Amino acid sequence: MMTSINIVDFLKEEFFISRLEENSKETVLKELLQPLVHAGVINSESLVLETLIKRETLGSTGIGKGIAIPHCRTLAISNLYIVVGISTKGIDYQAIDRKHVHLFFLILAPPNEEESRYLPVLGKIVEIVRNSKIRRSLIKAKDYTSMINIIKKE
Amino acid sequence: MPRSQLELLVLYQDIHLMLQEAEEEKIQFGFSVDGIDELKQAQEELAKNIDDRFLRTYERLKTRYRRAIAPVKNNICLGCFAKLPTSYSTKHHNEQMIFTCEHCGRMLYWIE
Repeated sequence: MMTSINIVDFLKEEFFISRLEENSKETVLKELLQPLVHAGVINSESLVLETLIKRETLGSTGIGKGIAIPHCRTLAISNLYIVVGISTKGIDYQAIDRKHVHLFFLILAPPNEEESRYLPVLGKIVEIVRNSKIRRSLIKAKDYTSMINIIKKE
Repeated sequence: MPRSQLELLVLYQDIHLMLQEAEEEKIQFGFSVDGIDELKQAQEELAKNIDDRFLRTYERLKTRYRRAIAPVKNNICLGCFAKLPTSYSTKHHNEQMIFTCEHCGRMLYWIE
């Protein structure tokens, strides 16, 4: 199931942030939402932010080794979107290994997503970042093209 | 800013879905979901701010449908794909009132 997803199809240049500036969990989630807000694809920014924060109550999406995959389904969006953000200094995200997070994959999808791509996409990203070589390269990616090239090699 | 009753219900429903998928996220992808009880408690707290009438309607709809609240796009209920009356004007979307689909009865949330 996981192999049928081509993750590159979901990674858009306008949804890539090469230098995250915020330094706390809540503010970085807000920063990650901004490209989607500017693209006009979010119905209510504050509602999506609150849903993401509630998801963190369930357990940190900071999965360790410098990676976080904040994600949720929300009715306030009508398609599946991924935003990628990199923080060179790292962010205290209360990750499971307590290490600072450098690479974020924000995934949002509507509850009624017809193609059921949400969980396969989530799984594919987990699979990608489990590879230590790719993970290290992605954290160092300077721009969108570098990120895409690294993922295409995967 | 205080949320509308509809937004509170949307969040309530999204938390439902989160709880439903928690186990799958843990088993398939290894996400930590130790906070299930905490999230259920947060959902209960949220429910205290929702009018009993709306909550009862939501729970009743949940017995019929997987999701009680359906998105609306292009004036179509995406729960049953029925065209909504033009009188369901967009000017009411952020008020403290809730529209239901005349065809399927689901609560409606405009996403345009």
